[in-house]
Amino acid sequence: MELRSARADVIALSVVVVLGALFALYFVLPLAGLGARAASDGEVWELASSEAVRSALVLSLWTSTLSTVLAIVLGTPVAYWLARTNVRGRTALDALVDLPIVLPPTVAGVALLTAFGGQGLIGGPLAEATGIRLTFTAAAVVMAQFLVAAPFYVRAARSGFAAVDQQFERVAYTLGASRVETFLRITVPQARGALLAGVVLCWARALGELGATLIFAGSLEGRTRTMPLAIIDAFERTSLGLSGAVSMSLILLVVAFVVLVVFRLATPGTSSR
Amino acid sequence: MSSLRYDARMRLGPFEYDATFEADGEVVVLFGHSGAGKSLTLQATAGLLTPREGHIEIAGRTVFDSASGMNLPPQDRNTGYVVQELALFPHMTVLENVGFGVRGTRADRERQARLLLERLGLEGYEDRAPGSLSGGQRQRVALARALAREVPLLLLDEPFSALDESLRRTLRAELLRLRADLGLTVVFVTHDLREAHLLADRLAVFDRGRILQFDRREEVFRHPVSRRVAELTGVSNVMAASVLARLEGAIEVDVDGLVLRVADPAWHPAVGERVELALRAERINLRRGTPAGLGEPNLVEAEVVEEHAYGAGHTLRFRPLGAGPHLEVDLPSRPYEVLGVQERRRWTLELPSEDLHVMRPSEGSTSTGG
Repeated sequence: MELRSARADVIALSVVVVLGALFALYFVLPLAGLGARAASDGEVWELASSEAVRSALVLSLWTSTLSTVLAIVLGTPVAYWLARTNVRGRTALDALVDLPIVLPPTVAGVALLTAFGGQGLIGGPLAEATGIRLTFTAAAVVMAQFLVAAPFYVRAARSGFAAVDQQFERVAYTLGASRVETFLRITVPQARGALLAGVVLCWARALGELGATLIFAGSLEGRTRTMPLAIIDAFERTSLGLSGAVSMSLILLVVAFVVLVVFRLATPGTSSR
Repeated sequence: MSSLRYDARMRLGPFEYDATFEADGEVVVLFGHSGAGKSLTLQATAGLLTPREGHIEIAGRTVFDSASGMNLPPQDRNTGYVVQELALFPHMTVLENVGFGVRGTRADRERQARLLLERLGLEGYEDRAPGSLSGGQRQRVALARALAREVPLLLLDEPFSALDESLRRTLRAELLRLRADLGLTVVFVTHDLREAHLLADRLAVFDRGRILQFDRREEVFRHPVSRRVAELTGVSNVMAASVLARLEGAIEVDVDGLVLRVADPAWHPAVGERVELALRAERINLRRGTPAGLGEPNLVEAEVVEEHAYGAGHTLRFRPLGAGPHLEVDLPSRPYEVLGVQERRRWTLELPSEDLHVMRPSEGSTSTGG
């Protein structure tokens, strides 16, 4: 009896190991492919230092960072309110915030056009009154990234705040701390792990944004062509070809990896959820 | 000038909450089952929820008054509020926790926090995380944090309920010492009868959002105003009775055919009036011999029909041999053994006339205690 169950354990363990190995292999192989290509193709390194790649990288980094900052500034109050309120309609608002997560980014791009485009709801009157056109500008890149990525931060922050027992805040109030002080000194530190996880998710999503940006901001070199767009572009049209795509992919990979590692190091004891 | 004058009304689930009491340099215990409105009272006092109407004064200062629209936020109410879960800030050290509410510079905060930690016997734990402390130590840190602001009023919401009995005993004693040292007014919420008895100067008995009785502790325990208060405060024998005669300094009542004399009744009901009678189980004496032979009033011959042994004593349930109610008697283990209750089942019970307490019948109460 005991022998039999021990044997079953061994079999189960073997299955787990094999499945895990397959899973890991599948993730490692594409990376290995990129590395192999880079090693064998001399052009890859040359292209990495080209002006087109440099400008795309710079644009990608500052737009994704800015849209993440906007998500924090505009999204934190909403997340806190969603975590604490019980009013009717909260569920609907919850769903509304989550909507861009399930929406295909191309749909988000089209929606942005209808709102902020030259003939859009806001965009039309804005262009008439001030001459300002948002489409095909770096601002449009940030707007596209913000719409698609901010919900990831709000979602994480909301569950992070909800996990902080309100009793802490109530006690802090009786100890003389104002609502703002309580939020900053009691609530945020306890929700830190979730908040940082949300920031990473949001930033990563903004960095990888493609569909909404392409439709709303276009792919103008030096102005709205972020790294993902440049990769598509290189792959499809230009002389850079696969070597260019590989080179930019490697750069993005390294940047993303470095950011993740730095974040992990900067936040000991918190695991991203 | 009272430290706390409290009067508030609001909705509490299915009940209407309505409570009025005061506290002045003493420990007032709010006692009752959970959901009766005790914690709500502390929250309304601390400013964490707003009653529909009422008036609350802390240390002579009005902090809430529905008539004038006055409603100070919790930050300005100057109360030390300790909750059952303690809510020690997990991301701060013990020292930072205790100093959190202290006004002034960082140095001020640290000095005051160290002072309080010393007072509560927590020197050496300044830099520890709250999570690494024992239950009793955490409890002390929560108290120290509440006291560090030098508040006149301490609000404690079942603070000891998560601790084991020996630790609770130590902390209760410590609380009473602190109260005396600092001249604090303490409002203490508990559903533990022994804790209520041990700590209270005055006792407010809560039931379904109402204070049934607010009085000095002994008064509540000896002279409950109603069957409900008697039951809540652990009176095992509550009996329906009717008044037979009014005598000098006493009345005679009939309980299920048994005539009992009640000395110095709390009020003087008319002959024929229905009343209720309370008698604590530990006040009944066991005697050998028969009532006829003893020739005194308030004696009942009865036999043990049920028996429960607790660590410190025995609870015996008696059935009368003649007319009369069933009675519950608590007997400490020593007299239980000396008297030989184990072997002898028939006893004469003495119901001391000065320990019998008459109460007005509650509305709709029909059952007899037996």
